[in-house]
Amino acid sequence: MVTVPELVPSVGALQRALDAEDYLADEGLATAVFLAVRMRQPLLLEGEPGVGKTQIAKALARLLNTELFRLQCYEGISAGEALYEWNYPRQLLGIRLAEARGVELAETELFGRDYLLRRPLLQAIEHPGPRPAVLLLDEIDRADAEFEAFTFELLAEAAVTIPELGTVTAEHPPIVILTSNRTRDLHDALTRRCLYHWIDYPGPERIAQIVRRRVPSSSQALATEAAAAITRLRSLDLVKPPGIAEAIDWVSALTVLGIEQLSGRSVEQTWGSVLKNRDDLDVAAARGGAWVAEAAHG
Amino acid sequence: MADRGLQPSIEAAALAAGFSTALHRAGLPVSPDRAARLAEALRLVPPTDRAALYWACRVVFVSQQQHLARFDAVFSAVFDGRLDPAESRGDPNAPPAVGSETRTKAAPPTNRPAGAPEPQPDRPPAPLPGADSADGDTDGPERDAILALASSDEHLHEMAFADLDPEELDRLRQLVARIVLSTPTRSSRRRHPSPHSRDRLDVARTVRAAQRTGGDPITLHHARRRQTPRRLVLLCDVSGSMEPYTRVFLTLLQGAASGARAEAFVFSTHLTRLTRQLALRDPDQALAQAAATATDWAGGTRLAASIRRFIDDFGRRGLARGAVIVLFSDGWAQDDPADVDAQMARLRRLAHRIVWVNPRKAAAGYRPLVGGMAAALPYCDAFVSGHSYAALADVAAAIRGDLHPIDHP
Repeated sequence: MVTVPELVPSVGALQRALDAEDYLADEGLATAVFLAVRMRQPLLLEGEPGVGKTQIAKALARLLNTELFRLQCYEGISAGEALYEWNYPRQLLGIRLAEARGVELAETELFGRDYLLRRPLLQAIEHPGPRPAVLLLDEIDRADAEFEAFTFELLAEAAVTIPELGTVTAEHPPIVILTSNRTRDLHDALTRRCLYHWIDYPGPERIAQIVRRRVPSSSQALATEAAAAITRLRSLDLVKPPGIAEAIDWVSALTVLGIEQLSGRSVEQTWGSVLKNRDDLDVAAARGGAWVAEAAHG
Repeated sequence: MADRGLQPSIEAAALAAGFSTALHRAGLPVSPDRAARLAEALRLVPPTDRAALYWACRVVFVSQQQHLARFDAVFSAVFDGRLDPAESRGDPNAPPAVGSETRTKAAPPTNRPAGAPEPQPDRPPAPLPGADSADGDTDGPERDAILALASSDEHLHEMAFADLDPEELDRLRQLVARIVLSTPTRSSRRRHPSPHSRDRLDVARTVRAAQRTGGDPITLHHARRRQTPRRLVLLCDVSGSMEPYTRVFLTLLQGAASGARAEAFVFSTHLTRLTRQLALRDPDQALAQAAATATDWAGGTRLAASIRRFIDDFGRRGLARGAVIVLFSDGWAQDDPADVDAQMARLRRLAHRIVWVNPRKAAAGYRPLVGGMAAALPYCDAFVSGHSYAALADVAAAIRGDLHPIDHP
């Protein structure tokens, strides 16, 4: 059995392993993930939408060859959706069936493991190994503050008490990655317990590398040009500055159209895959496609 | 396994403790357990070069993006002076080593216009509006030094708007445009589904849902009152005496009108509604349109008449009811204080909160004794200065309702 420290002996090794999973991490992000994995501390990732906060958790789970449990947070999420719930309809059905068959049904049978709906937090804690699961709490800022506190309490203890069944303790406490889009300030108690990394928006060379990985059919020249053009677009005051996802979409669109070099015309033809807001289109159109394409060739 | 640090000269625990002290002095919230965490991190990631050390420290110590700039400044002040002693040898301006930064102090900003008053030195540095400052309790000078390193804009925060030159004012307006004003909420009439079982049972929905399952109420539906933010109404005095402040206040009005859907009015001799003009996304265009619409800029002030116009034409019809009303004015008015008193009393009966922003409040020895101001004050829930960027945080807090009510004499 291969243990986690053997799989990721150093920051460099982790960086190479992520690379093999098609995730290009810079030294800062690799250090953060490495420390989270080895120090067994939750890692809070923040950054603009589309810089790969969610993807890193997926890549990490793949390279550790372990399960990924993902909990997408939203406003009003409750313990029932995060931890466990009793399968109420199934319990009712069980009672009806027992009545119909004339069988005695003890109450403890109704609250057995069969009737338990396991949600991601419980699944991550129950994960049998051999390596800990990766638990991704996505967009934790969307959940209420009380839910945040509850989750942390639970992860700190790595144990869940279900009144009817008893306590479930994790054999391999999960590796926890949290992401936040900064829609609200997270509680101090949470940030204090976490390692933190702010993922910066990457430079044009890195964007071009990522695009090449994600759109293998694109040419190196086109990816480089598109990355430069996206960087120039981001210098405008846009409501939704194009991110990496837009860069990938854009290059795919250009590749599908058979365009091999950016020009003012081809940029204007494909605005729709880069700018997704009416106001932004107006701002960019005022500058013109030629101005954007110029960045690529200048 | 990772072996022990490759540079025996750096003892991890001592380094962690020293560095966390330096960060704490710079006003970053650093708890003692972080230092222990860094010591462990350095065991796993041996600090063989600056980058490795930097990332390990940053991942452990920083927990908010806003702190990154300050962290970077402290890091380079501490380590770039220390790890490479050759660079700083014989250079009196070199960044200080650990523990010695108490003696350094940034040069005071020199581009202040002659005759401008000193910014008050013992006010704490500006917390960002909106971010509740848990880190505001460290002492002054050494912290200022590192803050000045962190951002060249910081010195603008404490300066009164009246003392800024046009270029600084432009930079400041960009900062002000980012301030988000939010009002307290009220319960709306409408209910909406709630996932929490502590809320009231929505009997109608539960029964409807039970019909699908043969009359057994399998899922219980709950509902709660929807919360909606109260309306925000901003009234800005644009008379001659307020001129140094109007540009910044209008930027604030513009941001609120376009972002927080506030209602914006300006007045000097008469009242003009500018909500539609200011609700454009481009601030310069919005201000240009507003300037073309309101015709009495920099005139005299008719405070009571303007408030009466506001109540008669807009407020009574619903605009002011249950709203948070913010008045930006120095209270120097031509009308009779008795009239101001009467109109403020009417406004008080309509509004949820009244916040008065008077930039003259910041002046030493200022007392609200001028006729109009003295008459209006008893009706206000909060009285703040708003004369500088830092003071605008108080305005935002007063609007949110976090600021304690003023003591009425």
